[in-house]
Amino acid sequence: MPAILEVKDVEKNYSLGKVLVSALRGITLQIEHGEFVAIFGPSGSGKSTLLHVLGGLDRPDKGSVYIDGINLSTLNDAKLAEVRLHKIGFVFQFFNLLPRLTALRNVELPLTLADLSEKESIQKATDMLELVGLKDRLNHRPTELSGGEQQRVAIARALINDPKIVLADEPTGNLDTTTGWEIVRLMKRLNQEKGQTFVVVTHDQGVAETAHRMIHLKDGVIQGVKKGSGSVNL
Amino acid sequence: MRRKQILAMAWANMKQRRLRTSLTTLGVIIGITAVIALSSLGEGFRVTVTQRMEQGFELNSLTVIPGSLFAGLSRQRFTDYNVGNISQIPGVEIATGVMQIGNVTLRKGNEEVQAFVATAVNFTEFVQIFPDRFVFASVNGSPDQWKNNSIVIGYKVNHPNETETPFAGAGDNISMTFMKSPYFYETQNFTVVGTLQKRGTPGLTNFDYWVFIPLDTAREIFGPPYESDLIFVKISNPNDSDAITKDIEALFPPFQISILAPITFLNQVDYILNLVQLFLTSIASISLLVAGIGIMNITTVSVMERTREIGIMKAIGAKNTTILTIFLTETALIGILGGLIGVPTGYGLSYLLSIIISRFTLGQQQGAVFQNPEGQQNIGITPVFSPTWAVGAILFGIIICVLFGLYPARKAAKLDPVKALRYE
Repeated sequence: MPAILEVKDVEKNYSLGKVLVSALRGITLQIEHGEFVAIFGPSGSGKSTLLHVLGGLDRPDKGSVYIDGINLSTLNDAKLAEVRLHKIGFVFQFFNLLPRLTALRNVELPLTLADLSEKESIQKATDMLELVGLKDRLNHRPTELSGGEQQRVAIARALINDPKIVLADEPTGNLDTTTGWEIVRLMKRLNQEKGQTFVVVTHDQGVAETAHRMIHLKDGVIQGVKKGSGSVNL
Repeated sequence: MRRKQILAMAWANMKQRRLRTSLTTLGVIIGITAVIALSSLGEGFRVTVTQRMEQGFELNSLTVIPGSLFAGLSRQRFTDYNVGNISQIPGVEIATGVMQIGNVTLRKGNEEVQAFVATAVNFTEFVQIFPDRFVFASVNGSPDQWKNNSIVIGYKVNHPNETETPFAGAGDNISMTFMKSPYFYETQNFTVVGTLQKRGTPGLTNFDYWVFIPLDTAREIFGPPYESDLIFVKISNPNDSDAITKDIEALFPPFQISILAPITFLNQVDYILNLVQLFLTSIASISLLVAGIGIMNITTVSVMERTREIGIMKAIGAKNTTILTIFLTETALIGILGGLIGVPTGYGLSYLLSIIISRFTLGQQQGAVFQNPEGQQNIGITPVFSPTWAVGAILFGIIICVLFGLYPARKAAKLDPVKALRYE
């Protein structure tokens, strides 16, 4: 089976005012089906930029990204949106739920975008919220939920379209330690039960340790890849 | 994305910002109200004026006058030969020549009244051409029995300063003083055979200010027994007036005569009134444009406020067109809402304005040029409800809203998702 995610020589530069910042400098990596991968490194190392490029939210200046065999750089905006809708699920540090919608409607939104019937999408969203342990919070708005609960809703939303890969950007970064670990356990459980590929960006070494592989990023370059607790040379 | 869902999202967004939505919609309501009020009132005005004019004019009459409106007036007079030729034209029922004697004074005992003009007519023919205007208040016998030195007096001449009691009635003997030749006045005795009811007809031939004497009498006094100053023509079908006008013109050398055709005048007035209405509606449309700019402004603010939300939508797979559609649906909903409220409000306002206008003009109608035949004093303008205008105004409102929403909505659709997600 080919890799679910393949990154070849990706470079990405930003201009901050008049200064050109090289966020990614020749990243090459492969992620296999069902893997749980952590990308960790200090802030400013390019973790989030890499995640955005992997998820088709941002386009690399150089190099290519393949998801499920599709070269993202060949796609126009509309096709890229479709890839994000069907093949990728995003989880953010600040949850990024739509404040006016209930938990159920937030989770249902990707299904609505995918033109699923209302009846079917409500059923699926309810099931998914039950899976993340929020069966009794369906009709609560984000402001009526705790941080941990909001992140669970966000995970449910990321998984609702049954994506090939879930990209999580500091999913525990805005939560207390206990709640953060609950979220990590939830993601690990979903990874095992549903076989979905997870790529988690974190600066928390402890969280990163739980992954099958830890990719250490610094100054836009992969410094090394560790497996379990042992490290391997690139 | 499902249409119903987009609609639900747009509606939820509008409800979230109730005050802002209400104020923006109010702008559209005012715009559409103005368009509807002015257009329905304008149409009502046009219909009223046209009806009044149709009542006032004999549309099946033509007046042949000497001289040309292009080349200047002439002192040419018509002959019975000309009148005969005109009566031969197909479509012409009657042609009759008249003479006009300027400014005469009538006396009965010590009483004295002035008439703007004395017109010498063939009564039998004249009554047939103007059956609606030649209506008697008092009469002796019938026109074919009237002999020389008979006189018919118009309402305003008979009631100077709107007096209740007429100056004279049928059967009275009076004298008329007129200028026979420059600076030479002559007085003759006449018997009143009829007095006319008030009619109030337009400018050139307002019978209220006229007196009428037999053509034969005038010819005896003034000269050749075969000449006249004007020719009145009655035609069978008003729609033929253009063709018959041309036929009459062909009987004379170029620029010798002019023909006044009421229907042409009426068409001109109708055309002008249409222009006025278009002008009023255009002015009203400006308020709708202002409302459009309000929508553009508010949508721009809304896009800025919801930048992060747009980023989230894009991250989870919304296409640019979906974002565009959501924002345009919101502006279109404002247009629909504004139209649905604005149209009835506009008609309400036009009725209110029509009442105010009729009250305001009540005192000014005594001497109105266009009075209706019954002499009623109420010139009311009834606003015209036109479903086409209503639908048109709503559509126009929606189009304005969508057009002005397009720029900010496109900006929203083209937002870079990463930048949008970072937006605080």
